[in-house]
Amino acid sequence: MMRQKFHIDFVKKSKIFFCISLGIMLVCLILNLVLLPTIVDIQFTGGTIIKYNFGGEPAHTAVEKTVKDTLKGIDALKNEKVDFSYSENLAASSNDDTKHIISLQFTGNKAVSIEHKQAITDALQKEYPDNSFAEESSTAVDASKGANFFLKCIIAVIIAAVLMIFYVAIRFRKIGGLSAGVMAVVALIHDLIIVYFTFVIFRMPLNDNFIAVVLMILGYSLNDTIVIYDRVRENRRKSGPKTTTAELVNSSLNQCFTRTICTSITTIIAIGSVLVVSLIYGISSIISFALPMMIGLISGSYSSLCIAAPLWVLWKNHQAKVKAEKKKNGTSKKSKKEKKNTNDTKKAVSAEKEEDTSSED
Amino acid sequence: MKKIGKPVFFIVFVLILALAYTSIFGVYGENGDFDVTYIKGINDIRWGIDINGGVEAVFAPADGIDADETQMEDVKGILDSRLVGQNITDYEVYPDYEHDRITIRFPWKSDEKDYDPDAAIAELASTSELSFKGGTESSGEVLLTGKDVKRAYATYQQGNTSSAAQYVVGLEFNDEGKEKFKTATSNYVGQQISIWMDDELLSAPTVNEAIDSGSAVITGNFTSKSATALANKINAGALPFKLVVESYGTISPSLGSNALQAMGISAIVALALICAFMLIMYRLPGFIAFIALIGQLSISIMAVSGYFTIFPSFTMTIPGIAGLILSIGMGVDANIITAERIKDELWTGKTLDGCIRNGTKGSFSAIFDGNITVIIVAVILILVFGPANILSSLFGVSTTGLIYAFGYTLLVGVISNFIMGVAASRLMLRSASGYKFLRNKKLYGGAKS
Repeated sequence: MMRQKFHIDFVKKSKIFFCISLGIMLVCLILNLVLLPTIVDIQFTGGTIIKYNFGGEPAHTAVEKTVKDTLKGIDALKNEKVDFSYSENLAASSNDDTKHIISLQFTGNKAVSIEHKQAITDALQKEYPDNSFAEESSTAVDASKGANFFLKCIIAVIIAAVLMIFYVAIRFRKIGGLSAGVMAVVALIHDLIIVYFTFVIFRMPLNDNFIAVVLMILGYSLNDTIVIYDRVRENRRKSGPKTTTAELVNSSLNQCFTRTICTSITTIIAIGSVLVVSLIYGISSIISFALPMMIGLISGSYSSLCIAAPLWVLWKNHQAKVKAEKKKNGTSKKSKKEKKNTNDTKKAVSAEKEEDTSSED
Repeated sequence: MKKIGKPVFFIVFVLILALAYTSIFGVYGENGDFDVTYIKGINDIRWGIDINGGVEAVFAPADGIDADETQMEDVKGILDSRLVGQNITDYEVYPDYEHDRITIRFPWKSDEKDYDPDAAIAELASTSELSFKGGTESSGEVLLTGKDVKRAYATYQQGNTSSAAQYVVGLEFNDEGKEKFKTATSNYVGQQISIWMDDELLSAPTVNEAIDSGSAVITGNFTSKSATALANKINAGALPFKLVVESYGTISPSLGSNALQAMGISAIVALALICAFMLIMYRLPGFIAFIALIGQLSISIMAVSGYFTIFPSFTMTIPGIAGLILSIGMGVDANIITAERIKDELWTGKTLDGCIRNGTKGSFSAIFDGNITVIIVAVILILVFGPANILSSLFGVSTTGLIYAFGYTLLVGVISNFIMGVAASRLMLRSASGYKFLRNKKLYGGAKS
């Protein structure tokens, strides 16, 4: 039959795979809860953006230090995280006092009170009298907008997932498509959790990049799983009725193994190049996109091979077992079933075979 | 299997090269002193605010109006449509209900050289109230407003007298507007009606007879661009109050000024490495897969830049690049699946042609199902986050261009994958296998024949 270079018993080892995945998730979860809290972008948390304009060129690091030192003196803002960004006012001429703008971004739902704002302003004006720091604007960012966006993303993903299960159920009905589709989604959830923990472990804030990575991995993992299901579908057609689901899936996985690895390698090459170059250039926001994408990709390939397909075998076997038990319990049902079997020989053969598997167990 | 002629390989190859060259470098010429763009290249792509920086502005209601939350929502919705109308999809809008402020950020336009942020900001802040008035004075009786218009569109109209064809803005009234317009035109037969956008007189036609068709055109010295802009403005609707620009400024590119250069370098490095990998792993099919990949990327770049000057450039953002990378992965994957199949077939000892036939046939369902499921995801994202906004009843009208960009590049990438990664690459493979020196099975990963 097919040339088969690998003979890995994915199904037999599936318990190990499940344990690895659950173990990693558990460790990450504990780290997440105890040591490394999730960082969320201001878009999703809400917060306050205060802008100061100033003239001249004071060192950015010094200005940031002044602000941070001031914050340390205020009890209410002691533990607030503040981000800095800089821009230029186009309307102002180059030696205007309002030429440069610094934005202070406070994430968190606590609004920065007027007195505290004044304290920061005073400190900046005292420290840099020549740069004439002046508050230009202060804006409260509404968290509900970000939450809304996040919710919208989740609903979009759920709609896509439901449609996807529907599609798989129809296209793969020969091998019981509905359960296959559900297992593909389980693998997806696995990958998304891994991507989430990557952001947590590497201390990157959950922002638009997170959504982009999640969507990319969703597409990739989906495609990967479908390609394997396609091979299962084909092998089911070719193989004799004596082949168990486990054997079927195992040989399919091994036949797809080279392809899965090679595709991962090429995609990893693409993202890896982006990652390495942006590391050299020090472009942090591309790093925060390429790194989790790369890890998600590895997880995506892994979950298709080691989670979705073996899980599906477990489910099929479980189904067969339930069927067999039902059969044992009622003889009247049995005769009815046999009648049905004669009508649909194909179905009968596969049902018989699945019962074989369960009796082996 | 129908035999594919030997020259087909070269025809497809040359076509892909031409496509790649023009989509990357563009085609430019000179017309006297002017530089003319015939085909847009990579440099004409409009980069998102997350890559190239852009403009930030804070708007507040004029004359100290205290806006309530619904009004602010309306303002936000209208600003959303105006930005989308200007083909700015990668923008951020932060309404601040407490202080009645709206912060807007959007990236530089692709034709940055003559881009005037002042004008763009002013246009966003204008009330943009369309009105039909009796007589030619701005104080004339208001007959209809933009609220009576169902749809406005730019179109091209042949002048009815000796005048040349010109761009006009067509209006379609809603039921109420149709009635109003009928009454107005019957009242003003033989007199002039003037059409205004805020305080600007657009045109003042003389009414010949009562019009009950429910449609009208606005003439004026429009170009294709200004007619479209006006139509978009009318469609977006009028603001409940005038906005003033409280502050505005630039956003330095959040990725650093050399982000684009870095991205270019990484693209070249990635392509070179993928090429090497495919050649080593799959030899001839690998080489063909690489050409197809270049073709696929070219189509994606075309779809982003607009390619022809009449199409505006799409905004390319980081999620857009994510979509592109995913579609590259899918494109290479299609070829890997096929090449692996052919390898498998070769080990069974069949003839080369039979192996290629079975390999391409056997791999199609996997590629098809994989790509279709990804298309489902892309289409849902485009519908939810694009102008269609299918969830707007739940979440209100808003366009988050970042995710839209992902869906767009992914969809385009997957479609071009079918064209290049599947169709073109198979054509090339079958055609190339017609050459005697390319018939060695070793070139396809099999044992030597």
